[in-house]
Amino acid sequence: MAATTRAGRRSHAVRANLIALPILLVVGLVWVYPFLWTISAAFKTQAGMFTSGASLLPDQLNFDNFVRAWVNAGFSGYFFNTVLYSAASTLVELVKAALCGYVLARYEFPGRTLLYRMIVGTLFIPVASIIVPQFVLIENLGLLNTRAGVILAMSGGAGALYVLLFVGFFSSVPTDLFEAAKLDGAGFLKTFRLILPLAKPVIAVVVIFQFISSWNEFNIPLVFTLGQPELQNLAVGMLSFQGEHATDWTGFAAGMTISFLPMLMIFLFFQSYFTRGLAGATKG
Amino acid sequence: MTTTAPAPGRERVTDRDRSPAKRVPERADHSRERVRGIERVWLLVFLAPFLLLYLGFTIWPLIATIYYSFFDWSGVGPIDHFVGGGNYGTILADPLFWLSVVNTLVFALLTTVIKLPISLLAAILLTRKWLRGKRFFRTMFFAPLIIPVAMAGLVFTYLLNPSNGALNAILRDLGLVDQGFDVFANRWSALVVLVLVSIWQIFGQYMIYWIAALQNVPEEVYEAAAIDGAGEWKKLTRITLPMIRPVAVIITLLGLVNAMHVFGLVVTLTAGGPGTSTYVVSYFIYQNAFGSVPFAYGYASAAALLFSVIAFVLVSAQGLAVRRAQRLRKEYGV
Repeated sequence: MAATTRAGRRSHAVRANLIALPILLVVGLVWVYPFLWTISAAFKTQAGMFTSGASLLPDQLNFDNFVRAWVNAGFSGYFFNTVLYSAASTLVELVKAALCGYVLARYEFPGRTLLYRMIVGTLFIPVASIIVPQFVLIENLGLLNTRAGVILAMSGGAGALYVLLFVGFFSSVPTDLFEAAKLDGAGFLKTFRLILPLAKPVIAVVVIFQFISSWNEFNIPLVFTLGQPELQNLAVGMLSFQGEHATDWTGFAAGMTISFLPMLMIFLFFQSYFTRGLAGATKG
Repeated sequence: MTTTAPAPGRERVTDRDRSPAKRVPERADHSRERVRGIERVWLLVFLAPFLLLYLGFTIWPLIATIYYSFFDWSGVGPIDHFVGGGNYGTILADPLFWLSVVNTLVFALLTTVIKLPISLLAAILLTRKWLRGKRFFRTMFFAPLIIPVAMAGLVFTYLLNPSNGALNAILRDLGLVDQGFDVFANRWSALVVLVLVSIWQIFGQYMIYWIAALQNVPEEVYEAAAIDGAGEWKKLTRITLPMIRPVAVIITLLGLVNAMHVFGLVVTLTAGGPGTSTYVVSYFIYQNAFGSVPFAYGYASAAALLFSVIAFVLVSAQGLAVRRAQRLRKEYGV
């Protein structure tokens, strides 16, 4: 009896897979078509690209386009800048959000409620609407058209959401843990160091979110590096590349392939961590 | 500006003489500690990084935006040409601003009503236990997120171009069109392309949000429902959807607000064109503030502020409507 229902359930699952998988596969292929097209275009010759239409088969297979994009068109520089901006702003975001979230969750101090409410209140402020004063501030600090200025602007504005994630997490840590740490004679800093590793899911979410959003950031690098191509990241550099070499689409495709492959690797590597971390961070 | 970290109070800060109800409400099951002696310094050290950046890059810019908006200022020289409400008067009469507002709202609304349901559908499908190859498909749908929006825009300008783009090649092969047609030649088709490309790009992020929300529904609830003989459809409509509703409200708000910031796609896909017909607010601000000399910081600030107010009113109206609907449903027990 039990065996037959199990077998029945299995055949049910097989049937469901037979319906769902082909649909998913077709939709998925359409979904990633622009990627496949870009990768294939990175190998094509200019002429081959203009005549190939929707075809994904390159007319040749060599790495000329990659060399041209990486060396001549300066994608190596854009790439370096993007990695630097993303890593630095992620680090800044993580540190400031973790520290602030910890204090807001664990300690009572004057102005605590006010600060918490302000953070919630400014959660939804669009970057575009406050970019002019940010620009003036960076200019007055003498950091306009420097890498430090871009990093500061990228990690300065955002982050309210990350603080709230950390507040939520640290508030849910049982008080006993802190009592135990105190009994062991741990001071402020020691306690924090003991508790922080527990926040791994939140840390993972903050790192991935901030890394992706700074990797893709366009508005801030565009405004803060106007006229300084050697400071631009991939997203902005790509645009000026297209402005200068309007016809070199194969070089552009090669540059794009170079720029998205590392992120794809990172995502594949961290994928399960990502959804698990997000599920943990939003709990409760 | 740099010394506004709340100074630790002396002896006043005792939790005891506050009634429990007056304490901060977000989590009531344990009380927060007060700090003594050297720990006050640590408190300040911990708060300082966030506070400095927050004051410098969020609070001050907000105030400054309001301040600039009353001046005619090009960014050079002192801010001394006070124009009062002049900028606002000009903006309210500027058809391009209103066109940008309408385009932004249309864009935000369309992307939100399309991307949320289909990403939820994908998330539900991709969390089924019986499904094979979940990781593979998740990665596929997530992939567009890892290319910068602006780059995605450039790829699509090529794929959609009328002379040798993939779309027209396919349409020609199918015999649907005999000569290439340009989706960017017309305001509405250009807007539709913006909406679709934006959904394509951001889809994975919302799918991941939904997957996280779905995974937070305790397994036992489904098991209990299965024992009571509930089918898949009933489980979905009676358990899953009601249980993820609180998260759904947040995801919807995030979706709306993020869509209102659309910038990179507009720059690379349409550059506001044809003409100025697909201007969005962030592009309008950018063009006024940094697009051409003389820069109009005051004017751009006024536009930014005005749009923030419009967006805030709309978003909170939506939030209120959701809350009202939930209360009504609770009252009538539906």
